[in-house]
Amino acid sequence: MEFEFFINNEPRKISLEKKEDGYHIADGERMMRADIQSISPNMLSLLVDGRSYLIYMARDKDKKYIYIEGQQFVVQDPGREAKSFHGGDEKSQAGDLLITAPMPGKVIKINVAERQEVRKNQTLAIVEAMKMENEIKSSVEGFVKKIFVSAGELVDSEKPLIELEAKK
Amino acid sequence: MFKKILIANRGEIAVRVIKACREMGIFSVAVYSDVDRRSLHVQMADEAVPIGPAPAIESYLSMDRLIAAARATEAEAIHPGYGFLAENSDFALRCEKERIVFIGPSSKALELVGDKVRARQTMEKAHVPIIPGMKSIPKDMSEYEAAARKLGYPVMIKASAGGGGKGMRIICGEQELRPGLEAGRREAKSAFGDESVYLEKYIEEPRHVEFQILADNYGNSVHLFERECSIQRRHQKIVEESPSQALDPKLRTKMGETAKKVVAAAGYNNAGTVEFLLDKNKNFFFLEVNARLQVEHPVTELCTGVDLVHQQIRIAAGEKLSFRQADLAQRGHALECRIYAEDPTNNFLPSSGKILFLKEPKGPGVRHDCGIYSGWEVPIYYDPILAKLIVWAENRESACRRMLAALDDYAILGISTSIGFLKDIISHPEFKAGRTNTGFIKNHFEDWREREKGGDPLRLALAAAAFDALNSGPSGKRAAGETQKTAVSPWQTLGHWRLGEGR
Repeated sequence: MEFEFFINNEPRKISLEKKEDGYHIADGERMMRADIQSISPNMLSLLVDGRSYLIYMARDKDKKYIYIEGQQFVVQDPGREAKSFHGGDEKSQAGDLLITAPMPGKVIKINVAERQEVRKNQTLAIVEAMKMENEIKSSVEGFVKKIFVSAGELVDSEKPLIELEAKK
Repeated sequence: MFKKILIANRGEIAVRVIKACREMGIFSVAVYSDVDRRSLHVQMADEAVPIGPAPAIESYLSMDRLIAAARATEAEAIHPGYGFLAENSDFALRCEKERIVFIGPSSKALELVGDKVRARQTMEKAHVPIIPGMKSIPKDMSEYEAAARKLGYPVMIKASAGGGGKGMRIICGEQELRPGLEAGRREAKSAFGDESVYLEKYIEEPRHVEFQILADNYGNSVHLFERECSIQRRHQKIVEESPSQALDPKLRTKMGETAKKVVAAAGYNNAGTVEFLLDKNKNFFFLEVNARLQVEHPVTELCTGVDLVHQQIRIAAGEKLSFRQADLAQRGHALECRIYAEDPTNNFLPSSGKILFLKEPKGPGVRHDCGIYSGWEVPIYYDPILAKLIVWAENRESACRRMLAALDDYAILGISTSIGFLKDIISHPEFKAGRTNTGFIKNHFEDWREREKGGDPLRLALAAAAFDALNSGPSGKRAAGETQKTAVSPWQTLGHWRLGEGR
């Protein structure tokens, strides 16, 4: 059976078939045969040509977190994620930039005002999380179009903070 | 000895102290804020008391609530851990007045060393070498500007009540001074409740070498050798080790004796750490006394065999030190990696969320001091430290190998952590060679990117995701950690049989 996933935000295909002699994995030209045992809801044991792999897995909504050989992967079903890739393009086309909170935290200070001119790398706002202050800097030279939050406000990750308009 | 101790902290350090209490036959009382009800320290303690809302200022920093909790549970002593009120002399004084033993230095000693500026004055008088800089807190901006000009940029802003990198800023020129001071003050205020900051000359790329000390209430003190904590990011230590590659026995003895001199000058008791900066020419300068149990204390425990939390409790209970300097020796090599909830691929910003799955590393010489578990939600309100991985081995090379193996055996799924970054530090040739200084991360990891992942692990990760999709039914939904159908115990299927039936 063919599967399509986003793995660490890259689309990839893989085929997995259950056969008499174990699971057949096909990744393009590469074929592997694996004995897969579910050890617990969070653990899989794979034997691939005698090589033993222990995989840890956790699930959260449409995401699977998979840990193998000291490496962590985030695997997502395609669909919703694919749309957000296009979203980024539309924004840049309009010449406007939406600055969002990089992590959940508290807005400590807004350093700019609406319609103010800003330099590249100028500090726009300070967001504190886990007792560390993080400066949110302007990625462009331009103007502050709109400010969505005020000092003291608690924000979630991805919450719009400030909208900028790049200088043409 | 105490019968019951309240631990005025949370996370891995609260767990560490609770374990020590249990080993010593002392009852432990945990305190928790509204978002910490499900935290590990609450589960581990014998008793637990709610102390208020999530913001630390209304809970873990609330002296009234902590004292009330100690009163209500009849705890005779309070262990403050590190951070929060650990180095707050007002809190120590309040405990003294309430006749609750503060497991740490006396309020007087704490006041002296906790005020970094006064400590600098005292140490200078005691002929301990100090870093050039301000010896008092200025009243206005112009004094800062004048001092900075006199010292010459770059200068360092430091919080007088500081520690753990909070409030610290390197300032390279005058235009950075004012915003740096503002930010430093705010951070200091929110972290310590005291906004005083001062300036010091910035010493370029020193090693950070600190000495652990123990001093009882009768004037006896020992040092338990050094820890090197040069690997820092944003002035936060991330990797620590002992012994330091920079010290020879002669320098070690000299610095250790200086550390004891610092303790004597400050009238200091209980466990503490004397921090030094060691410059390229092996000159050392007194930095500050960390008047608490340190995050990196396990490194010393593994090399000396002394349990520092046990010692803290014994000293606070009025016992004399049971060993002398000559009884102590360093053995082998220990390394510690701090595991932070942060995203190395997103500028190391804090990451919060649910830990869906935790696999702790185990094995000979591996210690995991941990405040997390599978299913726990990391709150945004506190320090992002999740756990510490500490290893011990016969020598540094073996310790590095052991650390790498342990990091490979360590999975925290659901949130971002620094584990991948730590692996690249430990395996870096300059780290392996022991050529470390506080500029290490800046010099070697400025443009660090996560290594490209691919090959068979990626392929098999995809296969595992496919296997999971195949086996989770058409709905494709199965909650993490959901148990499979209850297995039937073999004892239930054995049928009738009897134990020890004679012939």
